[in-house]
Amino acid sequence: MRDDETFHHRDRCAISGIGWTDFSRDSGRSDLTLATQASLTAIADAGLAPAHIDGIVRCDMDLVRPNDLVDALGLTRLDYFGDAGPGGVAPCGQVAQAVAAVISGQATNVLVYRSLNGRSGRRYGLSSVTAARVGGNGTYDEFFLPYGLLTPGQIFGLIAQRHMIEFGTTEKDLGAIAIACRNRANANPQAQMHDRTLTMDDYLAARMIARPLRLFDFCLETDGAAALVVTSTERAHDAPNPPALIRAVAQGSLPHPQPGIQFPVVLRDRITTLPAKPTAETLYRRAGLGPSDIDVAQLYDCFTITVLLQLEDFGFCAKGDGGAFVSSGAIELGGTLPINTGGGHLSEGYIHGMNHIVEGVRQIRGTSSNQVEGAETCLVTNTPLPPGSALILRRDS
Amino acid sequence: MDRSAPLLPVDDDRDTGGFFEAARRRELVVRACSSCGTILHVPRAHCHTCGSWEGEWRRVRGTGALHSWTVVDHQVHPGYPVPYTIVLVDVDDAPGVRMVGHLPGSLDLRDGLPMRVRFDEVGDGVVLPQWEPAD
Repeated sequence: MRDDETFHHRDRCAISGIGWTDFSRDSGRSDLTLATQASLTAIADAGLAPAHIDGIVRCDMDLVRPNDLVDALGLTRLDYFGDAGPGGVAPCGQVAQAVAAVISGQATNVLVYRSLNGRSGRRYGLSSVTAARVGGNGTYDEFFLPYGLLTPGQIFGLIAQRHMIEFGTTEKDLGAIAIACRNRANANPQAQMHDRTLTMDDYLAARMIARPLRLFDFCLETDGAAALVVTSTERAHDAPNPPALIRAVAQGSLPHPQPGIQFPVVLRDRITTLPAKPTAETLYRRAGLGPSDIDVAQLYDCFTITVLLQLEDFGFCAKGDGGAFVSSGAIELGGTLPINTGGGHLSEGYIHGMNHIVEGVRQIRGTSSNQVEGAETCLVTNTPLPPGSALILRRDS
Repeated sequence: MDRSAPLLPVDDDRDTGGFFEAARRRELVVRACSSCGTILHVPRAHCHTCGSWEGEWRRVRGTGALHSWTVVDHQVHPGYPVPYTIVLVDVDDAPGVRMVGHLPGSLDLRDGLPMRVRFDEVGDGVVLPQWEPAD
């Protein structure tokens, strides 16, 4: 195993700027316009001008490319650019690349962004297959799509059913996650579900999508963008807002993860464990922190069950105890681990993991609409399916 | 193409084509390392256990046990009318091998339910191994 002293990044970089657009079902703007707006906001929030940005890291599913933003933002140079992925696994990995670029001297202020018209444009919850034949060329889709296994929600339906078989997890446990996220969204004016409350009766009465998952177990579909500026901690001290120190970053995969992007994960030995587990081990080791040191967490919530699995895999409870943990109230504001304090993908908006980092920075600055009092550390995860990424933010002491 | 038809698999891929070729003979096979016997499903050429590139298609019995399932109530593709049930089946005589199956309707299922393979002609000469309850 690599000695972490040879790649020491603990607290050496920070997020100095954050930006986001409105979250809606129909933005009426292009992906590039959304990305430009969120980026300009983040750059100004960092106390910078576009000419100060010299690095850009993209999510591999973003329709906007780094060079598009050079032009749109009016950058004068681009010394570093990169991609991270896949999809919702990207954001913390994008920050990790930005950290590496800054520490290695390849860039000074790195823009990280995610932009999508996720409702009015391409909808990830629909099968987008248009080919006459599916699969081949290393996708392995030929073993899944012909059987009607077509969407991530169906994958997580299979995983949730197995978790219920093995551990007795209940539908109400999953409901507790949906309700916690909705409660936070009700206090967050920018959340898509700001004005709509959710009770357990509402949850249980919702229509089934892929059993045991219902409508409210699924994240929203959102048009919008979010962006960050990553720079050295030293430089972040000159910014107008308190820096959110990047305590540590990590990416990870399971051994024998199965190939492909998503469907083959249902063939793994244990489908109730995510790449969150090895990612968490690396992250905690690099951070010198453990689950008991985390004050608040933004957990990737494409589905409720995804949150439950990550709570187990990141060590907040034992494997199989996630249901009891979430139903105990621990994840609510005032609990031992408030989660998804902006409302998450389930109720704030689905910016594919990036709005979780933005909310993490708000918690560290003390400006969240659901502020956790005295929050000094925030965990952010993007660990839905192999592989995964995560980071820990920390208030400057 | 007919958008209301079920999706047909690419059945002549260099790594996976043998699986569908066997299905046309009504045989269920998995890729196995000729050198150490490690099963490589989904099919890949290189054995990660012993490093061998020599592989073979090993015939398996075609029985298994239900590992998990989901009843799909929300339709996302016209070729797959709801409700239908997606099943995950642990194959009996191929340790570590799990396969996916599709059953029309909403079935009363339980963990470990005995399953058996069936071969469906799905058009254009393609035969798909399917899984159904054994009795």
